[in-house]
Parts: sequence; C-alpha cells; structure tokens
Amino acid sequence: MQRAIEQRGIPTVSITVALDVTEHSKPPRAVFVPFMMGHHFGTPFHAELQRRIIKEALTHLVEAERSGEVRKMSMTWARARRDGVEIERRLGLKA
Amino acid sequence: MTDNSDSATQLRPGLWATVNERYPGSMITKENYVPLAKLHKPLSESRLTFISTAGVQPRGTLPFDTVHPIGDYTFRRVPSDSKPSELEIHQLKYPTAGATRDLNVIFPIERLQELASDGVIGNLAPNFFSFIGYNMDAERLERTLAERLADAVVAEEADIALLSPA
Repeated sequence: MQRAIEQRGIPTVSITVALDVTEHSKPPRAVFVPFMMGHHFGTPFHAELQRRIIKEALTHLVEAERSGEVRKMSMTWARARRDGVEIERRLGLKA
Repeated sequence: MTDNSDSATQLRPGLWATVNERYPGSMITKENYVPLAKLHKPLSESRLTFISTAGVQPRGTLPFDTVHPIGDYTFRRVPSDSKPSELEIHQLKYPTAGATRDLNVIFPIERLQELASDGVIGNLAPNFFSFIGYNMDAERLERTLAERLADAVVAEEADIALLSPA
C-alpha cells in the first residue's frame, strides 16, 4: 500500500509497532514506536504524545535520506502508560 | 511484558513469522525498496492524507466484513473534518481498549486537524482512508485494494501521506 502511493510520486511515512513486519514489507519510510498493537499514537487523552508521534513521522518524511530508513521513537510503552494514567487522573477520568 | 518494555524492541515479538507459519503467503515480503518520492513543498504548505488499517469508518456506512475468512478488500473514505463521535470501528484483530476511549490512539484525526489549523501542515485532504488489516491474500491486496486506494489518494491531490498499519 505505502509503496504503491510512493510510486505515484507522493512521499509516505508509516507508524509501526512491529519491526519484523516492517523489515519484511519494506516501506519507504517508517517510524517505530514500541507500543501495544492498536495504540500506535499512544494512550487515551495523551494529546501531547499523540501529537509528538505524528511530528516525529513528519520529521522523518523530511529528513530520511534513503528508502527503507526506520526512525525509532525514544519512548517506552511503560512510560506512555504511566503518563496516560497521570493525565487521566488530572482530567478526573480515573480515581 | 509491558513493564519491561524498552524503546527499541517491539512488544509482541515474532509477529511476522507466527502469522506466516500458520497462513503461508498472507504476510507481505519484499526483496527491495521503492525509490523515495520527493517532497515538492514545505510541510507547512503540504496537503496531508491519513491511511489506516484500523477499520475506522463513518457511522452508517457499510461495515467492513470482519468475519470473512480471507478478509475484506474494500476501503472507506473518512471525511477529514469528522468528529470521533461520528466514527466507529469494525475490526477484530487488534486491541481496541485505548481506541474505544479515545479514537486518537489509533486514528489521530483530532491531532491532525489541530496540526493543520496550527500551520504545521498546510491542510488536510478532504478524506482520510481506512480498511481492515485482516486480509489473508497479500497478492490480492496489492493488486486490488492498494492500487485503488493509491489512485484515490492521488485524486485528492495529497502531497504527503501518513499511514498507520494497526
């Protein structure tokens, strides 16, 4: 899919949580986040993290020099979850 | 597992091999890379579209066939000005614990709307695109769905595309 779009002249970048699948499917540009499947942009209500991941992808779109380059986010899932819990407490969504 | 996560290792290891062993030919394997397309404008002037395998679709559109044994090779357009409350998920193959509370964790439509209104990106294409990741015939997916969806992205005059394979 990503390759088909890139081949039509449109620069693409994907967010992946599965490095092994990315190594096989060889997209032109990808950003790896070490998160749970279905949570590519982080944890609920953590808008700052969601935005940061998109911006990381946009940076990669501009800076990647060769096809297949994978950029890694310096973030862990444990940290994303901790921050998410904290934000939900602050929003009054969690006791 | 989650507490021991680090930033360089995927949480669920051996995904490709596990699926491919049970369903040979269902996982995409490529031998080479396609050449990089060039950005023709700064991000702040570029039109972005978003493509997701999360099975997100506008309420009231034909639900994806999530129980078909070989998958559903159609896609839906999701107007980029939608509110999360106007969308729903039809997809079985990933944990939706986060997405059911805040859709942005898998389909960050509000964050993309904000980045466009903040001028980080130029604007959003009229539509985003969505399909389901459960498709067991990789060759068919590439021959049909991938080509049709890529043509639709071109038709919307997108300059850049963000993809999220759920």
